[in-house]
Formats: sequence, structure tokens, C-alpha cells
Amino acid sequence: MNSARRLLQTQYFRCLAAAPNYRASVQHVVFAHPPRRTSLSQLQWPRSFHGSPGCSQNRPVTTAVGQGGEKKEKSLVTYDELFEQVARDAKSKATFNRVVDIFSKRDVRRRGHVEFIYAALKKMPEFGVERDIAVYNKLLDVFPKEVLVARNFIQRMFNHYPRQQECGVQVLEQMENYGIMPNVETKVLLVQIFGDKSHPVRKYQRLMYWFPKFKHANPFPVPRDLPQDPVDLARLSLGRIANDLDSTTTVYQMPSTDLSETGEEISLPHIVGTQSPDQRSLLAKHNPSRPVFVEGPLPLWLRGTCVYYYVLRADPPPPEEKVEEPCDPELFGPGQSIFYPLVVDLALDRDLGDDYSFDVDDVEEGVVYAMCMTGQGDQATLGRWISGLQETNPILGQIPTLFRLESGPRELQGASETPRGPDIEAEPRTMEHEPFPEEEHQHSQGMKQ
Amino acid sequence: YSGLFLTPRQLHFSISPWLFRDLNLSECVFPYPEIGNEELEEINQLVAPVEKFFAEDVDSKLIDHEATIPSETLKGLKELGLFGIQIPEEYGGLGLSNTMYARLGEIFCLDGSIAVTLAAHQAIGLKGILMLGTEEQKTKYLPRLATGEHIAAFCLTEPGSGSDAASIQTRATLTEDGKHYLLNGSKFWISNGGLAEIMTVFARTEVVDKDGQKKDKITAFIVERAFGGVTSGKPEDKLGIRGSNTCEVTFEDTKVPVENVIGEVGGGFKVAMNILNSGRFSMGSASAGIIKTLIGLAAEYAGTRKQFNRRLSEFGMIQDKFALMAQNAFVMESMAYLTAGMMDRPGLPDCSVEAAMVKVFSSEGLWICVSEALQVLGGLGYTKNFPYERYLRDSRILLIFEGTNEILRMYIALTGMQYAGRILTGKIKEMKKGNVGVVFELLGKKLRDSVVKTVDLGLTGNNGVVHPSLTESAKKFEENVVFFGSTVENLLYRYGKTIVDEQLVLKRVADVLINLYAMTAVLSRASRSISIGLRNHDHEVLLANNFCSEAYFKNNYLMTQLQKNSPENNDANIKKIAMDILEKRAYICSHPLDRTF
Repeated sequence: MNSARRLLQTQYFRCLAAAPNYRASVQHVVFAHPPRRTSLSQLQWPRSFHGSPGCSQNRPVTTAVGQGGEKKEKSLVTYDELFEQVARDAKSKATFNRVVDIFSKRDVRRRGHVEFIYAALKKMPEFGVERDIAVYNKLLDVFPKEVLVARNFIQRMFNHYPRQQECGVQVLEQMENYGIMPNVETKVLLVQIFGDKSHPVRKYQRLMYWFPKFKHANPFPVPRDLPQDPVDLARLSLGRIANDLDSTTTVYQMPSTDLSETGEEISLPHIVGTQSPDQRSLLAKHNPSRPVFVEGPLPLWLRGTCVYYYVLRADPPPPEEKVEEPCDPELFGPGQSIFYPLVVDLALDRDLGDDYSFDVDDVEEGVVYAMCMTGQGDQATLGRWISGLQETNPILGQIPTLFRLESGPRELQGASETPRGPDIEAEPRTMEHEPFPEEEHQHSQGMKQ
Repeated sequence: YSGLFLTPRQLHFSISPWLFRDLNLSECVFPYPEIGNEELEEINQLVAPVEKFFAEDVDSKLIDHEATIPSETLKGLKELGLFGIQIPEEYGGLGLSNTMYARLGEIFCLDGSIAVTLAAHQAIGLKGILMLGTEEQKTKYLPRLATGEHIAAFCLTEPGSGSDAASIQTRATLTEDGKHYLLNGSKFWISNGGLAEIMTVFARTEVVDKDGQKKDKITAFIVERAFGGVTSGKPEDKLGIRGSNTCEVTFEDTKVPVENVIGEVGGGFKVAMNILNSGRFSMGSASAGIIKTLIGLAAEYAGTRKQFNRRLSEFGMIQDKFALMAQNAFVMESMAYLTAGMMDRPGLPDCSVEAAMVKVFSSEGLWICVSEALQVLGGLGYTKNFPYERYLRDSRILLIFEGTNEILRMYIALTGMQYAGRILTGKIKEMKKGNVGVVFELLGKKLRDSVVKTVDLGLTGNNGVVHPSLTESAKKFEENVVFFGSTVENLLYRYGKTIVDEQLVLKRVADVLINLYAMTAVLSRASRSISIGLRNHDHEVLLANNFCSEAYFKNNYLMTQLQKNSPENNDANIKKIAMDILEKRAYICSHPLDRTF
């Protein structure tokens, strides 16, 4: 609210700046910001300093160019140290702010603020403030106000204070990369520092054009902070894959550690599964002479995290089994209503021009009956999942269940670790089931005991 | 001629099933059915005491408030014989025809609760016995049902099966001696469920079909409460028709003798269909009866109430409401008595589609008309001091029960489509056989359709059946019929048998059919009225002409929507909107006050 008022005042100041009694207006503005500038002389000093922009403006640029990156490097190092010194015990938002405060108070001219800001931008992720709009604003506040504003069309035409503008753009760029939306205070600061129509303000405008447009572009947003508990994480992931409002997620086994009689530690991994009523009824119709497969692990990425899940699925039914029950209007059977005919007996088919049923995405595939996530993807654990499923799907007792597991990471894997694809090498455990249809049955029976 | 199938001279028709059926128009709907003088006298003698009873002895407000019909009122109804209107006199009923039943319906509909109780009893509850029962069943049950000593109920709906009767779970198993069925299951929303002594119950039975395989089919049973194991739940608390008894009925090992099967074992599907289809026609006259009463009440108010120094009746917007009500009542009456008359005619095929059309038209019309009548009174109409709010609540049920209007629209449209489709496929088969004549006939018809937009169905002209003062309307009707014929033909070419899944298309087809049937009904009725010089027949002509021109525009719009790629048709958008919402099962728009920054 306060910043909005300031923005208005700045605009007011711009109007007056065009007027001849320029200095008086400056004073007026200055009195409006007592906390920022304590005395009139302080403000007027840099103004007069900029009376000859030709020399003063070019000097830092030429030195930077002339002495190469060395000096810049050096200055960056010094500011790095400043951060390290202050934040010796803890790296937090408070210490980061303190560093910025220290820099701002050290020198009224803010000498080296560009280097400081670059250094600070680099340090932000370390301090965990890279997503904090207030910190960005504080960082922008390091720039001296009004001295960098172009005051005539010629200045505006040429790149006025290019290093500073570039630095300002860089701050916004980092905000953009972290998906931080600038706020009104940012705008006020940028206008105060660089003036409107400067590069940073343009950048700000572009951000404000695109960011809101893209804010809800993803219909399935992943929460920024994933739950730490593996059970909760599994619930979330399964909910994302099985985007069915009817499906129920069941925790078949909570993670726990037990001491066995021999004193060994047995840790039970979590097993979380999901199944929808549709999947249940499809499974109930499954031909028990055909096996179902437990397959996995399959990867699912949630932002920087990769989790793995397993599916219970069947092969697509052979064409000879897909016989639709003929509808007899006289008979009472499924698909008939007392009120109106559900099937019209006509020899006419749909006209080609009105047949939109063709879809390149329509691929014949086997049905997925259930999915699960577990802390440990071995056969014994997944067998427990299947036996848990059997409680709601009694037919699983008659269907041979076959495990087609591939080796692969079975635990959560951070983005920093090198992602190992689950299918890099086929483990010997992967079963060759095709040639031995008889053995499948025995195997599965063995499994379930 | 018309549309696909008819030769010009024959007055054959392609629209509505009686239309779709090869029936002769002039026999079927022209002239408007009449009853004989003796019958008229008889019905008038019956009507007078019933009217008196409803005016003096029925306290609808009390029934609505107490949610029960007082036993004295029920007794009065029984004494008037209203529980056995259609039961033949030999079984102790009044033995009245469908037309007379419709006439009485106009009166007993004045109390929704009583109307539903009576309808559940005799329009569906005992219809099974009456229509399809054996002589023994009739003699055993009908006399006591006719006097109202026993009340009947119709038990079809179940928790898991409303309109989809296929998912009936109630099961009847034959006992080992083969003499009884054991009935198990529960039925929901049974009108008269708490009062009924005799129930028509539908249940699954195991039937061995011709291949020797065992299959489940439904069978209809007559179940007496006295058989034991029948319990009824607490009456439902409803929005309207509060005095009628609606509750759950549970059967637990109820022993039903084999001779209590209605029709054949496994033939329950047809029994249910026949009963439901025959029970709907009376809703038209009932709705008209309510509207006529409300017109009287509201007109009284509009004539006396003054605003801005003018009577309400002088305001255009109020007049509009009365015109709407009168027109609706007129059309409903015409349709209802035309249908009832056709049903009473011996040897004609069943009029179930017509009855469904009457039900859809009158239930929707009544809902609007009651609402408009209430609106005339403004805030007063909203209070319980006036009967409007009760009629509004009561009339809402008509859109729902005995087949929801959505389902009936499907029935109306599909029955017609099926018939038209069969003729069309027959022609195509002929063509495939190399019958050049059929090819030329079809081509010629296409050509004619594209040039000539009207057709002479023989309604007008020298030998026309429609009175000359209705010529314009008849011409509009004929034009619609032609357009409809070609529309149906195109739809069949486009969708073939997958038309079943095009509900938005079928809805429009049904609406056009209903309008066309209504147009025929009013044309026929008004023609008769002028010809025999009934009182105020000029008013009827006005109403008929007005309705026909309205319906003509509506039909044209609907049929334009049915054309391919028509800009009037928003079906794709409608489907997409609905899918977006239903996927999330919520309204998904952001709040207008939401911000992104």
C-alpha cells in the first residue's frame, strides 16, 4: 500500500521533472521519503555529481573493460567474504539481510553496489532466500535512487548506465528463473532507480505480462515441497497417475522395524496401492486362465524427485475373447431398459463424415488393474501387496500372478544423484515366462503362500 | 407422401409413430374422437358428485401439512368408486373407458396427493392384473381392489435401478415343491407402499431358455401383504405430493404361489413396459385440469388488484401469462383426449408413444404455467395462504415419475427412428438388389424436396379434413412434416444405428415430434369445434392458430439445428463444457475476484 503511494509520487515527480522548477520538485519528493534520504544535501550531492555524466558515467565502465575481469573477480571475492564472515554460524534470511544492511550503511555512495548485487545473487540459494520476493526487493534497494534515471531523450536513447541496468535486469532474470513474481514494490524501486522505459522496467513489464498468463498453465501442479513421509509421497504420486476421483488409495503396510527372535532387525517397507471401482470390476471380469503381471519399477518424476511405482496389468485380450453379448430386445438382460430401446436394430452404420471415433492415441493395450508404490520392490513385498488386493478382489486367488520385475532403484532418488534408468540392465530375476505357461501357475501359487 | 415413405394421395405419414406407422391420418386423428351422448351423460353424472366432493370434503392444505390423507377422505373416495374407475363392472368397478378416466383425472388431480395415490393404485398398481391377469387372478383380486378395500402398488424401482430396470436385484426362487416362489429383496420409492395390500412386484427368476441355458429374466408377481415377510419402511418426506405414501418395501422370504405370476415366467419385461406405457396418458387432462383451476384463481386476482390505478389485467405482461396458460391447457386437453380416444378405439395399435408425448408436453407445460400463475400474485403466491406454492411443489413430480422426461424423449425419438430406419433400409436393400425404380424414386424425392417445400397431405382444400379457418396452420404443419421427413432421413444416413448415442439429436427429434403431435391434436379439435358449433369455438381457433405458428417456428429452429454443420447447433460446445465440469465434478471457473498477481 505504502509502495503504491510511492509509485504515484514517483510518477508525480516525473511530471514535475519536465517542468522548469525542477529542483524544487526534487526537494518535495525527498521530503516525502524521510527514511530513505535523511537530508537534502545527501540527495543533492549525487545529483551534482551527475552534473557531468560524460566523465563520471564512463569511468567505471572503462576501468572494468581496461583491467579485465580480474578486478571484477577480485571485488566479487571480497563481497563473497563479506557474506561468509557475517554468516559464519548460520545462513538464513536474517543474516543475508544483515549483510545487505551492512553494505548499504558502509558507504553512502554505495560504491561497488553492482558487484555486491552480483555476489548476493549468487549467494541467495545458499542462504535459502532465492524464492523470497522481499529479499529481491531489498537487494534492488541497494541501487542508489534517481541517480541512474535518464533525464533526457538522448540519454534514454543510448544505454544509460549500462552496467547498472544490466545488473538490474539480472536480478529480475534470477527472479524469473525461480518463478518469483515481482510485486508493486519491485516496480516502485525499479522506477525510482532506473526510471520508466529503462531496460529493467521493460523486463519487469515483460515478466508481469507472461507470468500471470502461465501461472495456471499446468492443470496438474506438483506442490513445491513434496511430503517427506514416503507414505504421503506415495499417496500423492499415485493420486497423480490414477487421476480418477473414484479410486481409493490403500496403505497395505506401514513402514516399521521389528526385532525378530534372533535379534535381527527386520524393516518392513511401506506398501501403498490404488485401485478404482472400474479397475476392480474389470479385474473381476478377467479370464482366470490368463495370467496377470506385476510390472515395474516404472519411474515418475515429481519436480526434482524420481519415484518408482509398480502396476498390476494384463495382456490385451485376444480378439476371440472379445465377443459382445448379443442384445435381445425380448430378453431381460444387461443393456436393456424398460423405458426405451438401448439398441436400435438397423442395418445402417454411421456415415464416414460423422465418424470421429478414429484416434491416433487409441492403442490397444492391456488393462492396468491396480498400482502401488513400495519402499522395497522385491517379490516378497509385492506379493504382500497382491495378497492385500485379494481381500477386495477375490478373483486374484484364481488368477496366476506373474512378477516381471526389473532391477532398478527402489528408493527415492534426488535430482542431484545421477538418475539410473530402471531398465539399464535386466537382472537374472527377470523371469522368462513366455515359453513355460505351465510353470507360471505353480510359481504364482508358490508366491501367494 | 411425406418424408420418406408415403405416397402423396394416401395421407400416410412419416412423423410420429401413428404417423410413422402406416396409418391413415383421416381415420386416426381426424375427426377428433367423440363419445356418445349416453356416455357423455353418464360421465357428467359421475363428474358432478366428484367435483362436489373435492370442493367440499377435501382439505388439500391439511393433507399437505399433515403429510397424510385423512381416512374419511379416503373413505369418501372409495364410496365414489374412484378406486376402480377402469375395472369392469362385473368385478365391481365403474368400467369406464380411457376417455372417461381422463375426464375424472381432471378433477382428482386438484389434490396432488390424492391423484398420485389413485394413479399408483389403478394406473399402474392393478393394471397388471387388469390387462394381463388370468380370469382367476381377476376374480380373486379385482373386486376388493375396485372398492378400495385393498389398495395396490407397483414395485419396480430399486436402490440400484431407477430407470435402468435391468439391474433389478430382487430375486424370486422356486421352492422345491415347485408351487411357490420365495421373494427376497427391497424396492424403493413405492407409491402407496405403506398402504398397499396387493402389489405388482418385479423380480429376477431363473429361466431355461431355448438353448437349454439358465438365464435370469424378470417376472411379474402379484404379492399380497398377507403372504408374510413384507415390511414397509418409514414414509419419505417429500417436496410435493406430501400426502401420498411413498416408502421402501422389503420382501423377506415372501411365499408367492406360482399362480400369482402375471403373464409368463420371464415375461416381466413386457408386463412392466405395457403397464408403464398405458398409465401415462391421463397426465395431460390432469395438468389441464390444474391449469384451468389456476387460471380462474389468478384471473380473479388480476381483475381486482390495482396497481398504478390500473387493474393487473390491463398490463401486457400479465395478459401474456394468461394467454400462455390458456394455450397450454388447450393443447394439453386436445392431446390428452385425442390419445385417450385413440386408445379406446378397438383394433388400433398401442398408443404408448402418444401417451409419452402427452406426458412430456403436459408435465413441462404445467410446471411453467403454475409458476406463471404464482407470478401473477407475486409475493402472495409464494405464501402458504394461497394454493399456488403447493401446486408448484406437487407438479414438479410429473417431470420425474413414470419415466423421467429425458427417458421418455429417448423413447419417443427412438421408436420413431426405428420405424423410419426400417423403411429406409428396406429401400436401400431394394436398391442393392438392382431395383432401378427405387433409385429413381429416392433421387426424385430428393430433387422434389429441394425444390418444393410444401406438400399436400390432404388436410386442406376441397376434401380437406381441417376447417378453412385453420388452413394457414395446417399448411405450416404440412411444411414441418416435409422438413421433418427429410431431416429424419438425413439423420439416419448420418448416424445409422449409432443414433442411440446421440442424445442431443434425439432430444430435438422428440421435441419436434411432440410439437407435431400437438399441432395435429389442436387442428383436429378446433376443426371439430367449429364444425359442430361448440361454444366459444372462435377462441379455440385463435388458440390453435397461435399455437401452430409458435410450434412452427420452434420446429423450424430445432430442425435447422439438426442439419449438419449448422451454426445454430452448439452441441459440441455443450458437450465440452459438461465434460470439463464433470471431469472435476465441480464448477471450475476462477472466482471473478481472484487475481494472479
